[in-house]
Amino acid sequence: MKMQSDLGRVRGLGSAKSGSSHWWTQRVTAAANLPLGIWFILSILAGHTADYDAVHAWLSSYFHSTMMILMIVSVAVHFTHGLQVVIEDYVHNRKAEVISLMLIKAVAAFLSVAAIVSVLRIVFAGA
Amino acid sequence: MTESYKIIDHNYDVVVMGAGGAGLRATLGTVEAGLKTACITKVFPTRSHTVAAQGGIGASLGNMSEDHWQWHMYDTVKGSDWLGDQDAIEYMCRNAVPAVHELEHYGMPFSRTEDGKIYQRPFGGHTRDHGKAPVERACAAADRTGHAMLHTLYQQCLKHKAEFFVEYIALDLIMDEDGSCKGLVAWDLDSGELHRFNAKMVILASGGYGRAFFSCTSAHTCTGDGHGMVARAGLGLQDMEFVQFHPTGIYGSGCLITEGARGEGGYLTNSEGERFMERYAPTVKDLASRDVVSRGMAQEIRDGRGVGEHGEYIHLHLEHLGSEVLWERLPGITETAKIFAGVDATKEPIPVLPTVHYNMGGIPTNYKGEVLRPTADNPNAIVPGLMAAGEAACVSVHGANRLGTNSLLDLVVFGRACGLHAAEVVDTKAPFKELKTTDGDEAIARFDRLRWAKGSRPTADIRLEMQRVMQGNCGVFRTSEILKEGVGKLSETAKTLPDVGVSDRSLIWNSDLVETLELENLMTCAAATMNSAEARHESRGAHAHEDYPKRDDEVWMKHTIATVDTEKGYGVDLTYRPVNNFTLTDEVSYIEPKERVY
Amino acid sequence: MVEFNLPANSVVKEGKSFSAPADAKNVRSFKIYRFDPDSGDNPRTDTYDIDLDKCGPMVLDALIKIKNEIDATLTFRRSCREGICGSCAMNIDGRNTLACLKPIEDIKGEVKIYPLPHMPVVKDLVPDLSQPYAQLASIEPWLKADSPTPPDGERLQSREERAKLDGLWECILCFSCSTACPSYWWNSDRYLGPAVLLQAYRWLADSRDEYTGERLDALEDPFRLYRCHTIMNCTNTCPKGLNPALAITEIKKMIAERRA
Repeated sequence: MKMQSDLGRVRGLGSAKSGSSHWWTQRVTAAANLPLGIWFILSILAGHTADYDAVHAWLSSYFHSTMMILMIVSVAVHFTHGLQVVIEDYVHNRKAEVISLMLIKAVAAFLSVAAIVSVLRIVFAGA
Repeated sequence: MTESYKIIDHNYDVVVMGAGGAGLRATLGTVEAGLKTACITKVFPTRSHTVAAQGGIGASLGNMSEDHWQWHMYDTVKGSDWLGDQDAIEYMCRNAVPAVHELEHYGMPFSRTEDGKIYQRPFGGHTRDHGKAPVERACAAADRTGHAMLHTLYQQCLKHKAEFFVEYIALDLIMDEDGSCKGLVAWDLDSGELHRFNAKMVILASGGYGRAFFSCTSAHTCTGDGHGMVARAGLGLQDMEFVQFHPTGIYGSGCLITEGARGEGGYLTNSEGERFMERYAPTVKDLASRDVVSRGMAQEIRDGRGVGEHGEYIHLHLEHLGSEVLWERLPGITETAKIFAGVDATKEPIPVLPTVHYNMGGIPTNYKGEVLRPTADNPNAIVPGLMAAGEAACVSVHGANRLGTNSLLDLVVFGRACGLHAAEVVDTKAPFKELKTTDGDEAIARFDRLRWAKGSRPTADIRLEMQRVMQGNCGVFRTSEILKEGVGKLSETAKTLPDVGVSDRSLIWNSDLVETLELENLMTCAAATMNSAEARHESRGAHAHEDYPKRDDEVWMKHTIATVDTEKGYGVDLTYRPVNNFTLTDEVSYIEPKERVY
Repeated sequence: MVEFNLPANSVVKEGKSFSAPADAKNVRSFKIYRFDPDSGDNPRTDTYDIDLDKCGPMVLDALIKIKNEIDATLTFRRSCREGICGSCAMNIDGRNTLACLKPIEDIKGEVKIYPLPHMPVVKDLVPDLSQPYAQLASIEPWLKADSPTPPDGERLQSREERAKLDGLWECILCFSCSTACPSYWWNSDRYLGPAVLLQAYRWLADSRDEYTGERLDALEDPFRLYRCHTIMNCTNTCPKGLNPALAITEIKKMIAERRA
């Protein structure tokens, strides 16, 4: 039975005094994703992803590999921020919420680092 | 049938009934003074009817042109047709300027002048230098001044952590054997429980009773609850015959179009397109006081110069002001005209009709807010432990007719006065009077009787009949015959009250029962109004008597006190009380009665 | 997880029907949500057929007609009947609005009336609003200033400064907007909701208030403020034509502005 006052409940744990950087980062990455996405689509249309050799040649370029790494970072950050909001919105079991938040961050971190390593291997090792 | 109710007792220094402008200002004052205060209200504070006030609050700030509180006082006395008590009027007009500044300091969002001061507009009956020309005295927040004020006062109450009992219906006062008031009984709609509030001071700020009439600008909640409680405690109601008809209620719905619309330059025309107010009030024309304009409109309609298919209304013109001015200064009414009259006020006139708007009469008080129980020897005897403010009270600053903008002023000035006086007389350290187990029994018996009422007439049925009688027999034009017939008809209707039928038996949010409790309060007000009007054989302010068209200061320069017998058929006993013909200080002298022309 | 289905005891059942008098020509059905807290029964919808020729133009007129003439137990809040007190906010024809400002003519077919969504229901169309009221109190909605007030006059405010408050102070606290906001539905325990944030911005925008920084501190929170996802239901539904979504964006901009 809830007997706490309405005001006490509403004030809760107080303001986190954060949230603006999350909000701002999501907007910045959204803005960054736009030119990066255009670059990516143009690259596909230009046939850079036609086959293994084409991709290899494409990502060996300093410009394109830099763009690719930027896109991986930006998309990963945007993705985790966005998904975090969805989870916070809908998952109200605190334990499940924390686990899923950590999980998406871990998965995103693993995938993005793996992707970056792959790009770097092409650039530096010529693999 | 009678079941035992769960009753919860409380002790408070002060209990305020009502959370409109007066109730909130009184609450704020007592809380600030360190008194333990409970504010009991039947609606959430910002839903009180003060929220609907539009045009402004009167104060001689002189922001737009020269003005003085003495001029304001003269206009108020003249507006009241000399029935107002001049000590109280002096108190109000003198305190108007600091009261408005105080509201601004509280954060009220007033409109502004070019140099950043509070914007003021002209209003009916407010003039410069004793009637020479209209003056800008109405301090306005666009055309939603009441809304701005009510929200501001509620915010201040939140700031001071005032204690509210929201959606509690006050049933009756608890009176001590010595005639003093020691609290009240209320019903919590949310939980269904009954509460007894033991209080050293009760302040009634329960508003008017416009809903006793069929067509009114008042909210559904304006049901004279404080009036009813006072009458059931055996106390009298003062000057109830004076009911103000606002000239510009929208034809059909009765929604209000502020007088500020005429203050900004709007005017009225009849079916011939004539600006007929020039004939009734040559100097200030459409800005004459409300009773004069309403009577002028009613006269035009009676003479067959009304507008519309059946010549039943008058046109209010605003279109010449231009849409920019309308949307900046009168956005609310431009919208209201669109919604409720289907009229684009920037292009065409609005159909309007005089509509019941304000009750000058009410619970008699002095300028400190103390409720009076006039006796033959002492017309100013007080009821210890009981105060009143706002439209519920009759101080009397409005006399026979209230000027626009003086109601918001009345609320804050006398709400504040109540707080000051309560702080003076309430001893927070003194022990509370003990409540006896039987205290409040009558209130609970009445509650229980109505809750289980199985009569043949639904509440709405009796209410409608009462409203029709009041509208038809106690309107703008009154004659001995019409009023006498009204007294009879109303008494017939009142006699059917014991036959009322309630169909909801619940204790939680039983709005059927709420309306029935309210109906008894309304009937009390209606009976007092009709009988007081029938007895007053003169014309004064809002009380225009065809058979006695002149004001009669010899006989009738006095306040009516109506005592309603709520036990037996709502019979009314009338006595009278002299008008205070003195001022509060020597700085201004009594304004002698003279003919009232605008 | 958020519950998308109603709990078993909240599933709405079909209730009673009341037909119009036989001679009625212009009949319209009103299907109204009913909940009786005493009975413990599930909520139901009762249907009332009304002769519109003998009824005022607004939905509130129909509700009052039903209460006066057909079923006095029907319970709803109402007061000013002109759209300024905010009492009669409810969900009409799938949209939160004020019953007193909603013309019956604007609705096609059966008129469906429910209480404001996602609030605890006390009875029939009366929701429990204590949470949004408490949230309003929590933002400290009063003027805060340390500069002394002029002893014999008002604080000055230019017309331009005052104009910044237009569209903010007119809010009537009907909570049509907050209860139309999906984010508020899912997280009203922590998200303040559009109505309260509009009020918060009303004080941020007031040139007389001197506590802007503290106010922004209290608002900067992933839930209190940033649960707004710019869904815009608030602005779409506001019966007074205000724009809470814009006010919320302005708060976010102010917080962004003070960062770097």
